[in-house]
Amino acid sequence: MSCSLTDKAWSPYLAGVIIGLLQIPAFLLIDTALGASSSYVTVSAHLAALIDTGVNGIDYASKHLQGAKNWWQVALVVGIAGGAWLSSRSSGMTRSGYSPIWRRVIGTRASALRFPMAFAGGFLMLLGARIADGCTSGHGISGIAQLSIGSFIAVAAMFAGGIGTAMLLRRI
Amino acid sequence: MSVMSAVLVGLAMGLVFGTALEKSRVFEPGMILGQMQMRNFIMLKIFLTAVATGLVVLAVLNGFGLTNLHPKVTLFGADIIGGLVLGTGITLAGACPGTVLAQLGAGYRDAWVTLAGGLAGATTFIYLEPTLKPLLLSGGPGKLTLDGLLGMPFWAPALGLTVLLVAGLVLLERWRPWRDDLGADCDGML
Repeated sequence: MSCSLTDKAWSPYLAGVIIGLLQIPAFLLIDTALGASSSYVTVSAHLAALIDTGVNGIDYASKHLQGAKNWWQVALVVGIAGGAWLSSRSSGMTRSGYSPIWRRVIGTRASALRFPMAFAGGFLMLLGARIADGCTSGHGISGIAQLSIGSFIAVAAMFAGGIGTAMLLRRI
Repeated sequence: MSVMSAVLVGLAMGLVFGTALEKSRVFEPGMILGQMQMRNFIMLKIFLTAVATGLVVLAVLNGFGLTNLHPKVTLFGADIIGGLVLGTGITLAGACPGTVLAQLGAGYRDAWVTLAGGLAGATTFIYLEPTLKPLLLSGGPGKLTLDGLLGMPFWAPALGLTVLLVAGLVLLERWRPWRDDLGADCDGML
């Protein structure tokens, strides 16, 4: 099995093992589990504070504003963008515009349709992740790896919602 | 740990995470939609492999007393409703909260819109949270875990589940080799 940065694709098992091993520095250095969605709260709370200082008075926002764990997760997701940038450039697999899959499932290439859909998707994704207190990483990869019952439930609901919505779209 | 060191650790881990997401092609909307339509199984394979690896890592670290675990509090209503809303968003976005950033890095333009939607969703939740807290985000049985329910040390059911996951992945791969799901341009378009 090859695994060079110039490869177009790696085995999903190699990628899965690498992601799972990231729990080692997460737990030993940061004393937390791998997660992604609460970084959006940290960034949003800072952005909201620019126009509404009252946001600092909301407990939930103020808990996410400062501290090593919050900024660690913001750095993690920034690093994800950097890693994907480097990796896609190393293999000549850079992307532009948007995936051809969208034309197949919504029947048009028009940005007038894809952009509102992407915005709604992002909105629901984070609203849902924050209600459930975790996303594919925090509940999925980390929650199940800690045998958390709430995470088993949240992941089952996540796939149910995702599959139900996907069945309404055209087949890829 | 200081904020600065935590940020450096986060960036380094993110570079590795982002590389794994890009190289495995799971950041492609075609892979995520394909999984949700049960036509492409690369996402599930990565997900279950990451869970299995995490279980072994945590069984060892926790078993030897090197770390405490941080399972989330179980809140049945919030886990179910939040999960359903999250899943709906994942399909419409063709991404997860983490993979949006990999899409940005690889160059997809609509990922910026997804990211903006995500920040708007998180902002909305910040303002809704005080209202939702008494309705949905409090009470419940606390930190419910499988090992706790079984009355066993964490490592025992963790390694048991790992065996089941590995067996499931072997069968899944035999039924559907991963290369068949890549697509000609490695974007899950089959």
